[in-house]
Amino acid sequence: MSSLTWRLSWWLIRAQFMTRRTATALSMLAIALGVSLGYAIHLINDAALADFSQAMKSVQGEPDAVLAPRDSSGHVPLALVDALARDEAVALAVPVIETRVRLDNTATTVRLIGLDAFSAALLMPNLMPRQGGADGGTTSIFEDGVYASPALLARLNTKVGAPQGLPSVAGITATRGEARWTTPIRGDLPAVRDDELLLVADIAWVQAHFGPREGVGEVRLRLAPGVSPAAWIATWSARLPPGLGLRAADDNLARMSNVSRAYRVNLNVLAMVALLTGAFLVFATQLTAVAQRSTQFALLGVLGLPPRMRLAQVLVEGLAIGIPGAAAGLGLGYGLAVLFTRLLGGDLGGGFFAASSPVVVPELAPAAVFFVAGCGASLMGALYPAWLNRIQPLAPALKAGFAQQAPSTLSASRHAKRIALALVALAAVALTRLPAIDDLPLAGYTAIALVLVLGIAAAPAATRLVFGGLERLRLSAPLRIAVQNILQAPLMAQVAASGLIVSFALTVSMVTMVSSFRTALDQWLDDVLPAPMYMRSKGVPLPADMLAELERPQSPFVRVERMATVMLTLDPRRPPVALLVRELDRADPAARLPFTGAVLAAPPGRITAWISEPLQELHGLVPGQTLHLPLLGREVEVFVGGVWRDYARQFGAVVIAAADYRALGGSVAATDLALWPRPGQEDAAGRWMRAQAKHHGIEGVGSGEIRELSLSIFDKSFAVTYALEAAAMLIGLFGLAVTLAASVWLRARELATLSALGFDRAMLGRAIVFEGALIAVIGLALGLACGVAVGAILTHVVNPQAFHWRMPLQVPWAQVLLGAALTLFAGMGASRFAARQATRLPAAQVLASAQ
Amino acid sequence: MQRRSFLLTPLLLPALATARDAPRHAVASRATRLSFPRDHGAHPEFRTEWWYVTGALDVPGGGMGFQLTFFRSRPGIAEELDSPIAASQILFAHAALTRPGQRLLHAERAARANLGAGFSTTDCDVHVGAWSMRRGGAGADEQFRLVAHDAAFAFDLRLTPTQPLLLQGEHGWSQKGPRPELASHYVSWPQLRVGGRLVVEGKTQEATGRAWFDHEWSSEVLAAGAVGWDWIGINLDDGGALMAFRIRDAGGNTLYAHASLRDADGRLTRFGAGEVAFTPIRRWTSPRNGAQYPVQMEIRVGPQRIETTPVADDQEISARRPLPVSYWEGLVAIRGTLAGRGYLELTGYAGALRL
Amino acid sequence: MLSIAGLSKRHPHAPRPVFSGLGLSVATGEIVALTGESGVGKSTLLNCIAGLEPADAGTIMVGREATDILRLDEAERAALRARSIGFVFQAFHVLPTLSVAQNIAVPLLLSGVAAHDHAARIEALLARVGLAGFGPRWPASLSGGELQRVAIARALVHGPTLILADEPTGNLDPRTADEVLALLLERVREEGASALIVTHSQHVAQCCDRILTLTPDGLE
Repeated sequence: MSSLTWRLSWWLIRAQFMTRRTATALSMLAIALGVSLGYAIHLINDAALADFSQAMKSVQGEPDAVLAPRDSSGHVPLALVDALARDEAVALAVPVIETRVRLDNTATTVRLIGLDAFSAALLMPNLMPRQGGADGGTTSIFEDGVYASPALLARLNTKVGAPQGLPSVAGITATRGEARWTTPIRGDLPAVRDDELLLVADIAWVQAHFGPREGVGEVRLRLAPGVSPAAWIATWSARLPPGLGLRAADDNLARMSNVSRAYRVNLNVLAMVALLTGAFLVFATQLTAVAQRSTQFALLGVLGLPPRMRLAQVLVEGLAIGIPGAAAGLGLGYGLAVLFTRLLGGDLGGGFFAASSPVVVPELAPAAVFFVAGCGASLMGALYPAWLNRIQPLAPALKAGFAQQAPSTLSASRHAKRIALALVALAAVALTRLPAIDDLPLAGYTAIALVLVLGIAAAPAATRLVFGGLERLRLSAPLRIAVQNILQAPLMAQVAASGLIVSFALTVSMVTMVSSFRTALDQWLDDVLPAPMYMRSKGVPLPADMLAELERPQSPFVRVERMATVMLTLDPRRPPVALLVRELDRADPAARLPFTGAVLAAPPGRITAWISEPLQELHGLVPGQTLHLPLLGREVEVFVGGVWRDYARQFGAVVIAAADYRALGGSVAATDLALWPRPGQEDAAGRWMRAQAKHHGIEGVGSGEIRELSLSIFDKSFAVTYALEAAAMLIGLFGLAVTLAASVWLRARELATLSALGFDRAMLGRAIVFEGALIAVIGLALGLACGVAVGAILTHVVNPQAFHWRMPLQVPWAQVLLGAALTLFAGMGASRFAARQATRLPAAQVLASAQ
Repeated sequence: MQRRSFLLTPLLLPALATARDAPRHAVASRATRLSFPRDHGAHPEFRTEWWYVTGALDVPGGGMGFQLTFFRSRPGIAEELDSPIAASQILFAHAALTRPGQRLLHAERAARANLGAGFSTTDCDVHVGAWSMRRGGAGADEQFRLVAHDAAFAFDLRLTPTQPLLLQGEHGWSQKGPRPELASHYVSWPQLRVGGRLVVEGKTQEATGRAWFDHEWSSEVLAAGAVGWDWIGINLDDGGALMAFRIRDAGGNTLYAHASLRDADGRLTRFGAGEVAFTPIRRWTSPRNGAQYPVQMEIRVGPQRIETTPVADDQEISARRPLPVSYWEGLVAIRGTLAGRGYLELTGYAGALRL
Repeated sequence: MLSIAGLSKRHPHAPRPVFSGLGLSVATGEIVALTGESGVGKSTLLNCIAGLEPADAGTIMVGREATDILRLDEAERAALRARSIGFVFQAFHVLPTLSVAQNIAVPLLLSGVAAHDHAARIEALLARVGLAGFGPRWPASLSGGELQRVAIARALVHGPTLILADEPTGNLDPRTADEVLALLLERVREEGASALIVTHSQHVAQCCDRILTLTPDGLE
């Protein structure tokens, strides 16, 4: 285009924006909303991951590879540490023993990291201690003593009332199970992050007190320059005993990003839906803009406007909406990200990362991607209107205005349309049968998109079906006019309805999914919390003396069940799977586990494991099959006896009976207790539990509290989706109002004629409100149908594929219908607005301007 | 980098520099009779031990000097701890390469025994990470294998004896000061034939040459007032071997000295403190710490008078382990009444040396 | 100038052609009136000449280079219109969202006349159609006669060789109609352009150089 045609283009854009301020602003807002949601989610997750990975790097260093036992109770033998250190391809081998201990003076457990200063100084400089002043710094790190992080020191000092600053020779007693270590605090860890509670000591001292006797916890490795980590890992992996696994540095990252991936992807898809709704609003705005200006464009065409300019102008107008919209969206997204990380933390309440407030750092490339996505959505919305504008025949348009129907050669026959719709429906059904791709339910998402397309495409047919009959009935004049308008202008009605279809479908589906999940969770909590009381110590075996007290005959409990947890690495790129060692009746596991299907008895001599639903989804196992577990340093074959529902551990869990675990040679160091008080001694039991919990710094709660807490976490984690639903409904209503106002404008001459025929302004207004209500009814009905379908896809396809858990579908009808009624009222309100705009003009003026 | 040394140094210093509790360290005894290969192995009951190989390599483009040293230290800590990885025995290794006229290349490693490092008590077999020094074979097949590698250089050398072992002092009991407790067990093996591979800055080349092996263990060697020593070991061109050292005080005066010369026919002559003199001729000043090393020296041993000429002036080693310490150790050409190539070690010029 | 030969056109499904073998020629500087009964095809003929409707056979030579508009593609037809043809319609057809001056500038922008000329040219032309100082005003504030003067200015501003006018005074009261017609003829003559004016008005027709009447059998 030459500069002259650019000037003309600019005049037209300016004129367009000036005359349709509201519609343009709303379109921009919708684009901004979609961009901001997507961008905010990206920023928040990026910040949380960066924060998480920085915290991890600060403690772990940045090794090229890590050799670790696949069973968290295992160890790396010393001979293997030496063999690794002797490998010329290894530049640095850093042995580490990390464990959790309970400190006598604190309520929480803390990480105790045993390290070898020679090697660790090079890989994890942030963990290097600083000598305290009290003993003149004459004691080395190799001797008896620990070094505490600033956060832990602060906590210890306030607890014991010691002066601030570097610690005195104050000692601590660290306990883990039956092992105790009383040792002086020799100094601090100046380079450790402020939010870490940890202790560092020489690896030998940690080993001597807490084990493992013949080895270390893991070995972090730096490879020599020029060594390919992948090839080196492959070579070594082949030589390792089955209980050990080597993982590459990027496995760590993959594992970390896998943690929050499904959640993040789902939120991003919601943002994309918001963006698409924005695109839809641009579509509605531009379509009506094209319709309104068809005479003007025809005139310009006659005057010599090149045909491609008629296409380009509408696209450029779309971009002119998209660019400021997307730019505003980036700003808004940044603001949202900052706000949300402050309010909810880095996981938006999802509970995946420790409670920290990561710093949101915007970067150019992702901002550019979201900016382009916003512009692209807007451009996409303008595409069809632009094409319609391009194909308008000039001479008729100049005389008669916009042609609602595309030229007959281009519109398919009704029969062909039906076949196409049936094919789309079939494709949607077929897609729900496909497995996840790379852990993402992409086919499911595509099926959702197809359902929405189907809903929109079905709008004209549904309109004819619902209102075709009405036409023959005796109706009041305004209602009759409304019905006829809808039937005679199907394109505008479709456009107006489709916004509602999409947004209401989205809302219904989300509400359905959340409600299904909540109902299922509620039921599941009943099943998994059979005991009235629970005690838990995170990661540390429960104190031996407390367990001994429970064994005494005068204990206020009639029954106690113990559980120990071991983490097993089945796949180095995924978070580890929990092995739950439980005291349960091998003959009747269903008394304790909520099985989803058949429970099989193991053949004689086989050990039975009952796997959780996520594990089943991840590994495609069915009851009766054999599962290989890296247990106690070897590969153990277990019989899969059944699948139980688990909403707590997204990455999978396996239950085996404590008796079986002992038979395999494992020792059960209980971390969790389920307690049944003696009848009549509930109060004494409660007092005992609270006293023990306070004394040992562990958790002790009633099942009711667990239940409340779980549900409140659930509600918090889905808070963001409500905001998205509200945004979608607003966009849908905007769409209805904009389209309705435009269609009234288009029919100004007709309305004026009615007015001239004696239709008063109030009747005219009522006709338009009726029309809006009828369109809203169609939109809501189709939206509801699509919403239930999409909700079913989310519940039965997307959730199992992304989060690996299943649940029965529950449509909360009362909520949904209330929402529909509210939307209908809001839609009528929007129509009133449109009606007022239309009827404010005196009839004569309308008649004149319509020429 | 800055932080790492600030953090690590104070941690190691107390452990290695102060003999606080003075655990039951063995004392070098005049009565001990050494037997081999057992005494090529480690003596963990002593405080300090080293296996020291220095040598000259003949490669295209001129002679190079190399050294590989393993130190074993028993700092006397964590001795009662019931753990196989207690830091009661710590190993350090230094490797260096001298190229004529260029700055010396240097690398070091450290680890505790059983956790990335180890030693044998039955023969010379010591390693820190992938660096190792190991003796094997018997008779004509007897050999040392030396392996060390770093980013800038690497070598894999085989050392074959051409002469018998040389026990320094009295049957390998070598006095280091006026008091008899100030002594070490000291075994040398001069005139080892070198063959193997050398990698410098990515280029691999075959290397041949002559090396000198020292193995010394003790619990206390430096007398009060001693700040360091000058030591030289020379493989003479005619097949003979000369070793000489002196212990200095802060004023540069000799506190103790000793030398031994084995001529090409195997006749061994020992020289007492009065027969050994070190006289600086030219000093080189380190641009890094200002220490002035007498790199060119006149050394008189009995009737012999020789003069050292360094192949490169800057053969200063700045090691972080076991302690942050700088000293000069490098290849020198020998002229005078005897001719050959030797390694000169000058310690205590950049602050007093502590073992 | 305009030269039509052997023009034939039949609407799809119509029982008889609108015209067949029609010939017409308007010399440079000549103003021709085209009359005829309603529905006889006057507007269709104008649309064909402007390249807005296709014809079945014949040639329509338009412009200084006498280009056959029927042989051009859509974009080339648009370019030819922008360069060589000026339009005056019965309905005033100005863009309501552009100012008077911007409306008049549209053909200049589309025909690629260098921008630095525009303001002066538009101002001069406005003065000559009796609308001096109207440039910044909006069409909504103008009367029908004034709007049609704007249309005339727009039709002439880029120096077209052919003016096509379709009932240019049809929507005006008789007095204004006379004024506007006089203005149109005067300005066309002044520019030395050819013009084809479709009209029902004998008065208008008589003011032209030549009168042609379109009948179902052809031109008379």
